[in-house]
Amino acid sequence: MHLTTRLLTALLGWALFAGLVSAQEAPPPAPVIKPGTSQERVQADISTREVAIQSDFSGIEILIFGSIDFSDARMPSQSTYDVIALVRGPDDSITVRRKTRVAGIWVNGRSATYPDAPSFYAVLSSRPVRAITSNETLHGLGIGLSELDFGRETAGNPQEQSFESALIRLMEERNLYKEDDSGVVFIGRSLFRATVALPANVPTGRYRVEVYLFRDGDLASKTKGSLEVNKVGMEATIYNLAFHQPFLYGLLGIAIAVLAGLMGWIAFRRD
Amino acid sequence: MSTRLLTDQTMFQIYLPIAEISVNLLVMLGLGAAVGFLSGMFGVGGGFLLTPFLMLSGIPPAIAVATGANQIVGTSVSGTLAQWRRGNVDLHMGAILIAGGVAGALVGVLLLRYLRGVGQAGLIISLTYVVFLGTIGTLMLWESVNAIRRQWAGKTVSARKSGQHNWVHGLPFKMRFPRSRLYISAIPPLVIGALVGLLAAFLGVGGGFIMVPAMIYILRMPTNVVVGTSIFQIIFVTALATLLHATLNHTLDILLAFLLIIGGVVGGQFGVRAGQKLRGEQLRALLALMVLGVGVRILIDLVVRPADLYSIIPMSGG
Repeated sequence: MHLTTRLLTALLGWALFAGLVSAQEAPPPAPVIKPGTSQERVQADISTREVAIQSDFSGIEILIFGSIDFSDARMPSQSTYDVIALVRGPDDSITVRRKTRVAGIWVNGRSATYPDAPSFYAVLSSRPVRAITSNETLHGLGIGLSELDFGRETAGNPQEQSFESALIRLMEERNLYKEDDSGVVFIGRSLFRATVALPANVPTGRYRVEVYLFRDGDLASKTKGSLEVNKVGMEATIYNLAFHQPFLYGLLGIAIAVLAGLMGWIAFRRD
Repeated sequence: MSTRLLTDQTMFQIYLPIAEISVNLLVMLGLGAAVGFLSGMFGVGGGFLLTPFLMLSGIPPAIAVATGANQIVGTSVSGTLAQWRRGNVDLHMGAILIAGGVAGALVGVLLLRYLRGVGQAGLIISLTYVVFLGTIGTLMLWESVNAIRRQWAGKTVSARKSGQHNWVHGLPFKMRFPRSRLYISAIPPLVIGALVGLLAAFLGVGGGFIMVPAMIYILRMPTNVVVGTSIFQIIFVTALATLLHATLNHTLDILLAFLLIIGGVVGGQFGVRAGQKLRGEQLRALLALMVLGVGVRILIDLVVRPADLYSIIPMSGG
C-alpha cells in the first residue's frame, strides 16, 4: 500500500511538472532564500485559467494545486514544509465612508479614498501564517491582510486606521478579502491543494496567483500564475454596450420597454 | 438536504451585468408583477413603490432609479394605449407637459450625478421619498377617509364644476386645450411638467401621484382626461430620464429592467381587473396606506442607527 501511494505521488508529481513548466518562474530576487540550503521547488497551477461570468454565474470555486519537488520529508506527518497561496485581484479605487448623525438622521460624513486597494485578496496557508515564518518575511512578501498596501499613508493616525480596518472588514463581509489558516491541505508527502471561493460579486480582471513554499520558516521556493475573470456572452455584450455605446444602450432599453408594453397591451386587450 | 437547498437557491439566480450582483430571477419577476398589479389596480405608475423595493433588495440606489424609470416606460405604453382608445389623452396638454418635463429630467439626472460624486445620492433620494410619500399619503388618506365617511352619512360627493376660475386664469401666454375644454396660461402646465420631470429623473418614478392631483386641483382638467394625459406624458419623460441616466451615469441595467417589465406588464393587466371590483374611495384609502407604509419604512432606515457606520464604494462599480 505504501508503495502504491509513493508511486501515485511520483506519477502525479511528474504529471504536474511536465504539464506546468510554464507556470514556474525564475527564482525570485529572494530576500530570504538561503542559497545552497534548499533544492526544493514548488510547482503549482490553477484549475481554471479563465472564469467566465455569465447570466447564471453565482460564484465559483477555483482549485490551486501543486507539488513540492525534491521533497526530503520522509513521512507525511514529518513534513517540515509549509505552503502559502495568495490570490490577488486587480487594484481598484475604493472609497470608505462613515455615517454620522445630523439632526436625527444618519448621513455619510467623513470619507477616505484608497486608490490602489486590491479588489480581491485571499491568503490560504497550511498553518497560521505567523506560525510559518517571521513577521519581517511576511511584511517583505506582502502576505496577510495586515500587510496590504492601499496606496494611502495611514501610519500613526488612529482615524485613518479605523477607516482602513473598516475597509478590510467590509471587504471580508463581501467575501472579497479572506485569510484561511487551513486553506492549504497536503496530500501525502509533497502534493497540496487549496480552494478559493470567488463570490458572485467577484470583480473582473486579471488575478495574480502566487504560491510560496517555506521550510522551517525560510522561503524555499515560489511560483506565480494568473487567471482571468471576464464577463462573457450576453453579460459582456450588455456591459460593453452600456459603457462604450451608452446612447445606443439607452435607446435599446427604451425600445425593449416600448415593445414589451405594446405586446402586453395586444395580448390582454379586450376589444 | 443542505445541498438540495443550495441547488434550489442557485437555480434561478441571474447575474445582473451593470448592478454586478446576482439576484433571484423569480423574485425580480415577482417584484415586477406585484408592482404592476398595484399600478394597474390603482391606475398609478408604481415607480414610487418599485424603486424603494429595488433599493431594499440590494440594488445600488442610482441603478434602482435608472432601471425603475426604464420599467415605467413599458407599463405606461400599455396604459396609454388603453386610454388612447377611449379618447382620454389631451395631446396639446401632453405636449406642454413634456416640454417642461424635458427640462426637469435633465436637471434631475445632473443632480443625481453630482450627488453620487459626493456620496450623498442615497440619502437625498431617501429623504425626498420620505417627504413626498409622507405628504401625498397623508393627503390621500385624509381625502378618501372623508369621502367614505360622507358616503356613510348618505351625502352625495360633489363633483368638480366645469369652468370654475382660480388664480391660474390670471396668468399670461394663454392657450386653448380643446380636449380638456380649457383656455389657460401655458406657464402652470410647463412648471408642473418640469417638477414631475425632475422627480422622474431623480427618484425613478413616473410622477403620476403628483401629476394627477396637480391636473385636477391646479389646472382644473376634466377627470376623464387626467389619467390618460398624465400616463401619456410619463412615457416621454421616463424615456428621456432612462436615456440620460444610461448616457451620463451608466446606471441602467437592461437585464433587470427587462425582468421587471415582463412581470409588470402581466401583473398590470390583472391589477386593472382587480381594481374594477373595488370602490374608488376604498381603493384610494388602500393606496394611501401603502404609500405611507413605504415612506415610514424608508424613514426608519434613516433614523435608526445603522448596524455598520462604515460603507464602501468601489469606483469602477455602480
